Amino acid sequence: MKGYRRYFVGKFLWFCITLVAAFILNFTLPRLMPGDPVAAIVSRLAQGMSNTTGVQAIYEQYAELFGTNRPMLEQFVLYLRNVAQGNFGFSFSQYPRTVADVLRASLWWTIILQFPAIIVGWIVGNTLGAMAAYRKGGFDKVLMPISIFMSSLPAFGMAVVLLVLFGVTLKWLPTSGGYGFDLIPNLSGRFIWSMFVHYQLPFWSIVLVTIGGQAIGMRSMAIYELNADYVRYSRFMGIKDRKIVGYVFRNAVLPQITGLALAIGTMVSGALVAEIIFSYPGLGTTLLTAIRGQDYPLISATTLIITIMVLVANFAIEILYGFLDPRIKAAQAD
Amino acid sequence: MRHLTRQVFNSGKFVVGFSIFVGILLIVIIYPILFPYPPLEIIGQGNFFPPGLYVNVYDSIFTSHYILNLDDATANRIASKLDSEDRLAIQKWLTASGFPESEIDIENTAQLLDQWTNNFDPTKRFPGMTNADRNYFIRLNNSLKGLLSTEGAIIAVENPETASLEEAGVVAQNDYIVVNEVPNVRLLPLGTDNFGRDVLTELVAATKVSLIIGFVAGSIATLIGLILGLLSGYIGGQVDDVIMFFTNLLTVIPSFVLLILISFSIGQEQRGAFTIAVVIGLTSWVWTTRAVRSQVISLRNRDHVNLSKLSGHSISYIIIADILPYIASYVVMALILQISSAILAEAGLSILGLGPRTTEVATLGLMLNWALIYQAPILGYWWAFYPVIIVIALIAFSLNLMNTGLDQVFNPALRE
Amino acid sequence: MKNKNRISFIILGLLLVLSLVALSACGTSTPPVEENPAEAAPTVEVAAPTEEVAPTEAAPAEEVAPTEEAAPAEEPAPTEEVAPTEEAAPAEEPAMEEADPNALPRNETLYFNGQQWGSVVGWNPYSNSNNNAMAIAQQDNARVLMFESPYVYNMLDGKTYPLLADGPFEWNADRTEITFKLNPAAHWSDGTPVTAEDVAYTWATHVKYNTPTGASNVDYIEDIVAVDDQTVTVKAKLNDAGAAVNPLIVEAYLSANYVIQKAWTQTLEERVGEDATQLLADPAEDVVFSGPYHKYFADDSKVVMVRDDNYWGQDASMWGKLPVPTYLAHTIFKDNAAGTTALQAGEVDVSQQFNSNVQDLWEKDGLPISTYLPDPPYQIGASLPTAFYNLESPGLDQVAVRKAIAIAVDYPTIIANAMTNQSATFDQVPRSLMNPTAGEQALFDHEAVADLQWVGNDIEGAKALLDEAGIVDNDGDGWREYNGENLHYIATCPNGWSDWQAAIEVVAAAGKEIGIDITTNYPEWSVYQTIVTKSDAPLPEGYDIFMMWSDGAGPTQPWSRIRHLLSSEFIGMASNWNGNWGKYSNPDVDALIQAIPNETDPDALKEMYTELVQMYLTDVPSFTLMYRPQSFHTVNESVWTNFPFDGDGTNPPVPPLDLMDGWGVAGLYNLELVNP
Repeated sequence: MKGYRRYFVGKFLWFCITLVAAFILNFTLPRLMPGDPVAAIVSRLAQGMSNTTGVQAIYEQYAELFGTNRPMLEQFVLYLRNVAQGNFGFSFSQYPRTVADVLRASLWWTIILQFPAIIVGWIVGNTLGAMAAYRKGGFDKVLMPISIFMSSLPAFGMAVVLLVLFGVTLKWLPTSGGYGFDLIPNLSGRFIWSMFVHYQLPFWSIVLVTIGGQAIGMRSMAIYELNADYVRYSRFMGIKDRKIVGYVFRNAVLPQITGLALAIGTMVSGALVAEIIFSYPGLGTTLLTAIRGQDYPLISATTLIITIMVLVANFAIEILYGFLDPRIKAAQAD
Repeated sequence: MRHLTRQVFNSGKFVVGFSIFVGILLIVIIYPILFPYPPLEIIGQGNFFPPGLYVNVYDSIFTSHYILNLDDATANRIASKLDSEDRLAIQKWLTASGFPESEIDIENTAQLLDQWTNNFDPTKRFPGMTNADRNYFIRLNNSLKGLLSTEGAIIAVENPETASLEEAGVVAQNDYIVVNEVPNVRLLPLGTDNFGRDVLTELVAATKVSLIIGFVAGSIATLIGLILGLLSGYIGGQVDDVIMFFTNLLTVIPSFVLLILISFSIGQEQRGAFTIAVVIGLTSWVWTTRAVRSQVISLRNRDHVNLSKLSGHSISYIIIADILPYIASYVVMALILQISSAILAEAGLSILGLGPRTTEVATLGLMLNWALIYQAPILGYWWAFYPVIIVIALIAFSLNLMNTGLDQVFNPALRE
Repeated sequence: MKNKNRISFIILGLLLVLSLVALSACGTSTPPVEENPAEAAPTVEVAAPTEEVAPTEAAPAEEVAPTEEAAPAEEPAPTEEVAPTEEAAPAEEPAMEEADPNALPRNETLYFNGQQWGSVVGWNPYSNSNNNAMAIAQQDNARVLMFESPYVYNMLDGKTYPLLADGPFEWNADRTEITFKLNPAAHWSDGTPVTAEDVAYTWATHVKYNTPTGASNVDYIEDIVAVDDQTVTVKAKLNDAGAAVNPLIVEAYLSANYVIQKAWTQTLEERVGEDATQLLADPAEDVVFSGPYHKYFADDSKVVMVRDDNYWGQDASMWGKLPVPTYLAHTIFKDNAAGTTALQAGEVDVSQQFNSNVQDLWEKDGLPISTYLPDPPYQIGASLPTAFYNLESPGLDQVAVRKAIAIAVDYPTIIANAMTNQSATFDQVPRSLMNPTAGEQALFDHEAVADLQWVGNDIEGAKALLDEAGIVDNDGDGWREYNGENLHYIATCPNGWSDWQAAIEVVAAAGKEIGIDITTNYPEWSVYQTIVTKSDAPLPEGYDIFMMWSDGAGPTQPWSRIRHLLSSEFIGMASNWNGNWGKYSNPDVDALIQAIPNETDPDALKEMYTELVQMYLTDVPSFTLMYRPQSFHTVNESVWTNFPFDGDGTNPPVPPLDLMDGWGVAGLYNLELVNP
């Protein structure tokens, strides 16, 4: 058990360090952009105002409120203290709404869309990849090029194709939003059904893209393992084929899990753009609004949340991996 | 080397991928030579003209006319203005206005038109008839005018002195022209886009720019990754620790997030295609670093490297002579993957409105972005976005195929 | 072993997805209840008045329920509906449908798009950072769904009509004071009457807290006082000569700004401790209103307003009935494309957004969709998106260069490509300072300025003009020189403003035709606006030709538009959100702008306006690129019909302002169901 603890503590420390680094990057980068975001808010407030002093007064009031008139370091400390309390400050483009409020509304949509989609994509992809490796022949010949082609399509490209095909042309599924245009969120069967229907297109556009990449990876891994010495040895020993295959896939799937941990960031990013195509009310759409509104508190908070989500997923996978792979234990115990 | 090349070209996947890629490259190179149209020139007044052969109407009036007496000409002409839905709508309107339904025969065009022209009154409104319906009937009425006429159309020109119209010719209903004889004909195989630009020409130019972006970004990323991976793997120790710290850090922080943040802070004025390529390159080297490092570590203690060390060769010599050749195949594969992912990254950024500055160059991402802004997918202008998606997918597909092919050559275990 | 593993994997995955979906349903539906305790509290406070309404509200809902179930079957266009599954739902669960207060009955709801972008922030009529497009817009054509102004403006006939007021307003003989009476029937949502004291207190609050409304009117309005319960006097600020500084702006106040309840204002002041910032940032969930609609629901994906069945306007002295739709709903779309999809699908009835190639919707798709005008330009143009010249750039101080560029530009392409023909062409409406509405067009003498007109694409004319001015290409590099320097300009507009960008591209192309090198640049809006509105310093490089807007239709127009385009009074302002960003200065123009507000003789006015147009077309300090409507007004008649259209026979004519702005609100009372 000691070995595990060392492994977990190490992973956790690493998690914290990454978090701090991500945090600093998220704070600094958006603030380097040219232009004055406060002026943008004032411009919205001041349209139609004809006296200069009034506009100037509003400007100063907001500069003070958002702290943009203070030195960067002071802003950072202030930001740090606020974030620790879960307070990301005001959104510039949706003032007086707070960033936390904006994110709270959209975060759930992204979580329920992306994680199931990525997991389903991963499972289906790996299953197909393993089957291709094991069965070979025609199945493999057909599946491989398709998988490669699917993984070559960007998620947003897949999203546009699905949107035109099933939304616009066939009119089977709704094309935008998270639930029916005539509904208000509630727990009725009708609402949940409507959510389910709106869920389909964004979900499948992520799943289909994920399947391709995973299938290719799994196939390579499985072929590698199938040709390994221990397989031949086991066969030679007369161990049942089914049992061997079980070992093979267990070994092959382990690197795929690490692969998932490493690739999850890329997958989430791709999926964010897919969200935008369907106006899904998740983080992707929020990010787009924030970019268009030059709303850097919102941009840094959104990117921070995405990073944290990825980090947490990553951490979880690493922990899971620690339990699954006996070699970890062995290595750490040395 | 020759043996390796032969082996590579024996891999079916590589060959298919390679041919697609070379095909795209050739088109990008040859097309502009054959059709030297400026790619960003606005030629269409109006947007999203459908694909087709555009024949100058003015010129065709004054080129020689040939008379062909074709049986179905009149029927085709009528069908193009009055389809079965229109006939039903006419029937509906007439019945609603009190015309006896039994007298209406929607198949009898002459009678139907006669009944329509004698009864239609644009000011009449019936219960349940919307303004949209009303507009439809007015439009229909206008388009039906003179539909059954057998006379030709008179071409008149204005006399500059008297400002009166003078007949210059008659176009009969059975007049035809030969497209080859019309001096001004332009083929727009993919129509025009929202700016009124020739989509095919723009697409070829955009593919070129996107390939350059991919190549620049991929080279930068591979170069950084290679150098860091070599240093980290070969020297080890503290250098390795520092490099791996940053590498691991950037592995978990999604590079797309970094990309968004950096492109955003650069600002629109500075975002040329080249800048975007550099930014993409700078944010995507981590994978190559990891791969190269692990390869180098496994090579570090091989006999031939140790031998070289004992012979007192310098680090740079050892790296170049004893390590690089062994990892070259991995580097090439990494480069291929980097190029394909950079092209996708540019497209993703452009969709977010963070792509290269618009209208200076076309890129695949920008083309798609503008098509989406002008609602092409919803309005059914498939030529403005499907070809772009297909080209993106084909480039990535060909590169990935090549990569898989190479993988199978270099890792014999994967060979079927 | 292998198979078992795989199957269990799949089952596990599916279970996970299902549980997550279920979880998410709870997750998203609970927040409105849990998340905003602050919101919940005020709702309890207003519960009393709403309870009174409750029975009436419930009754019609029950009555309609059966028809509604039948509706899907009757509807002729179910093919257009996106999700047949959704239609099926009520049939399967009729019991639930009746009891479900969370589904808006399609036959009682009017859906909008293009107004609300991003989620609603507040309901505070003092602030203009509510991002609440459905409820709050104090402008020339005030949005009077929830809050009401004393008068409403009708952009079609240029007149104002009483809303909260009773009868027309009157100037005193010296034109220094306006007096008007309030409609005695008018009452607030809490049942108390709307009084003159409310009007006066609203103004006092605007001034006290320097709200945007206060700040922009304080130079023109001295005070607003209550004479008695029903009578209000608005005192204009006077100039040294004892005349009103600007009677036009004083008049416009009455149709642009809401009357807000005094009692509620005092509650608000108490809550925020009389702090100005907090007062403007208060979301005002408890606000008292006088209009026919109020908040029903708002989140990130939609905002819904519900009719107040106690609305005073059903009194015979006003509308004599309630507006037709029970709910007004606005789904929040991410962009125009998503909005158009919904309009196509019949999920939107009234569309206030730029639907590119709008005619395709009926010509190609055969949908029951129409615009105010059946043919191009489809909409009534009201504002003049304009390219300004930086008059300090070398060469652009020369009229010849300015005019040459302006006449070389290919306007038909701008109108066809950027606006997809949703703008009148300059053949149809020759350029002037007036928008294409008949009222404004009648204000100047078309004959007198006919010689100065241009329709664009006049490359030869532009070249001749430049040659004549001696601005020619001496060194043979293809570009003309002025004072030995090649003429090189940068034309710019904000990034992402797609129609403007397309227009600026065409302007740049024109330059190349006539030997002037024009390139384009698209900074982000935040950068762009900071630079353009800084009128106390020269514009930096990169802003030689730049696009900005002009005023639309309103009671002070076209005077205010002309002032914002040409008046030199804005030069030197550190933050100039008014206009004349290119810094044009002409004493004759200034004098006319100064004189017009106090001029009442129509003939004299026409002369003055004609003179202004003449000077504008001669000096070319800026030039209009297209006409743009006040609101895009496209309607889908699959559920509702009888929307305003050109020649609909309403008198006074209902303007195409999406049934919510100014007199446009009258259209809400004329709606009918297509299948009642």
